[in-house]
Amino acid sequence: MNVRSLVARDVKAAAPFGRLAAGLRAFRPADLLLPLALPAAVLLAWQVTAVNGWLPVQILPPPAMVLSTLHDLIRDGDIAANLKISLWRISLGFALGAGSGLVLGTLLGVSKTLDDYLGPVFKALAQIPSLGWVPVLILIFGLAEALKIVIIAKACLVPTVLATAQGIRNIPRHYLEVARVLRLSGRTRLFKLLIPATLPTVFSGLRLALSHAWIALIVVEMLAAQEGVGYMMVWGRTLFQIDIVIAGMLVIGVIGLAMDTGLARIARRLRGWAPDHG
Amino acid sequence: MSFLRTRRFVMFAAVFAVGLSAARAEPLPETIRFGGFGQGFGKPFGVAVLAIAHVKGFIADEFKDTPVKFEWTYFTGTGPAINEATANGQLDFAQYGGLPNIIGRANGLPTRILLSYGTTTVFGAARTGLPIHSVKDLKGRKVTIAKGTILHWAFLKALEANGLTAKDVTIVDLKAADQLAALAAGSVDASFATSTLLSLRNQGIVNVFHTSRDAGPKTAGFGAITVTDPFQTKYPDATQRVVRGLLRAAEWLSREENREEALQIWAKSGTPYAALKEEFEDQPLKQAYNPRIDEFLVEQYRDAIQFAKEEKLIRNDIDLKKWFESKYLEAGMKDLGLERHWPRRAADGAAVN
Repeated sequence: MNVRSLVARDVKAAAPFGRLAAGLRAFRPADLLLPLALPAAVLLAWQVTAVNGWLPVQILPPPAMVLSTLHDLIRDGDIAANLKISLWRISLGFALGAGSGLVLGTLLGVSKTLDDYLGPVFKALAQIPSLGWVPVLILIFGLAEALKIVIIAKACLVPTVLATAQGIRNIPRHYLEVARVLRLSGRTRLFKLLIPATLPTVFSGLRLALSHAWIALIVVEMLAAQEGVGYMMVWGRTLFQIDIVIAGMLVIGVIGLAMDTGLARIARRLRGWAPDHG
Repeated sequence: MSFLRTRRFVMFAAVFAVGLSAARAEPLPETIRFGGFGQGFGKPFGVAVLAIAHVKGFIADEFKDTPVKFEWTYFTGTGPAINEATANGQLDFAQYGGLPNIIGRANGLPTRILLSYGTTTVFGAARTGLPIHSVKDLKGRKVTIAKGTILHWAFLKALEANGLTAKDVTIVDLKAADQLAALAAGSVDASFATSTLLSLRNQGIVNVFHTSRDAGPKTAGFGAITVTDPFQTKYPDATQRVVRGLLRAAEWLSREENREEALQIWAKSGTPYAALKEEFEDQPLKQAYNPRIDEFLVEQYRDAIQFAKEEKLIRNDIDLKKWFESKYLEAGMKDLGLERHWPRRAADGAAVN
């Protein structure tokens, strides 16, 4: 729960024309400018370093050079072509990993027996970093696309399962008791209680999963790929053109932020749709 | 990690500035740092002339009346990693392949070419059972190479000589050790690499269908031993001593009675002894490790620069005249009476005297 939604809730309680006012107040210019303060400071330090030649240009090219490289990469379609492949890998891996993670997490959260059987094994496997799986998975899947998708899916699976199971287990006991007393149907229980109550936790799990997906993507593309944003960065390093590497970092940062913001928006929408359960 | 070395950068920059402004020669450095390409097995030893000069102490001999210390690093990441280390100011001398030499220099690394480190035999191997018997048969196949290294150049040149282009094959970019795994797992059909491939052949996993020994001297891997410009400007005497040590190593190599010992030294790099033995079979080491900067070497570099531009590996041109610095080599050969020891080669690789 972020500051903005807290403010929004207070305002909603206080003022009759709640939403509009909350919306207006939430978009103060300061909200937009504050997050830019640190990047601006970094950019300034970077420019100063470059101008003074404190680092060799081969290690840290000046911002203007990175910008012009980024411009070239966009103009020549390199970014678009690589991004298309990377986003496809992310989407597929995320869909598979998060999808099966929701199912498995629900099962583990609902069934104590299943959790007793699978919980410890799952947690042990989850501790192995994605990179640790690579040698084994290469033997099974070869170097083809399947390898990349599986590694990304695995990276998404773990946080989704943990968050979903946690979300379900954290539903206050008395809610469940009330539901039992009221003899709510399974359907009603699912839509009016389980989903709304677990949504915030599940979505923070999904957001974590998405960031893990990006990490896994870059790892697999650096390891065994011929295209994609991660490979573009490896290639930039091989060619000793660090500006390409930094351009790739910027692209990933912006896209990643956009996706995370998108997920946060969806979460907020869904929370609005679900009845407030305090 | 590189950011932790800021002080070094500052020192490097300062040294650079001093070197440029005053061009003042100083007696001897405290430490001289050497880098060479490793064979991808993580061993602290390398191959070619530098490894001999290191292990047999030829360079240390040249400094035996001084307190100068030496650092030797052999990079698993080969040429590209050596470029990074040089930019970081962590290396004074480096032995690495021609293509990364070019990539580093084109991006503004202050390297100077002192001498040729010799040639690397390039092998093309395909999984057994596949109908691949020549470079021509690679059409439509999955081939793994380490991109950005001299083997990348050698592979595309071999394709070109056989009427193919990079578009006719699927290139999979892997490091040497990973290539062996990929071939063994059947994930790729063929590879262009060094004699490391021979151990897979001995296990019956691949067949060798191409060697640069059969295809001619211009198809072999090449490269140089470089020095950073600030170092050679500041320490001309130390640079001369190092080059003399390297020449003595090359001369030692050229004597056939030392072949066995040389192979043993190179095997420390992790490349199996048997593979090294076969790589140099029927080939005089004097010919393979000719240190000269002659028409042949210059032409190989000119050709590879052209290639790098066509493949968009470099964005800037390189002035070859300003890059080669042969005065240390010439003086060293004279000092040691080796002026006529190695033949000069014409552009096509044939000895002219």
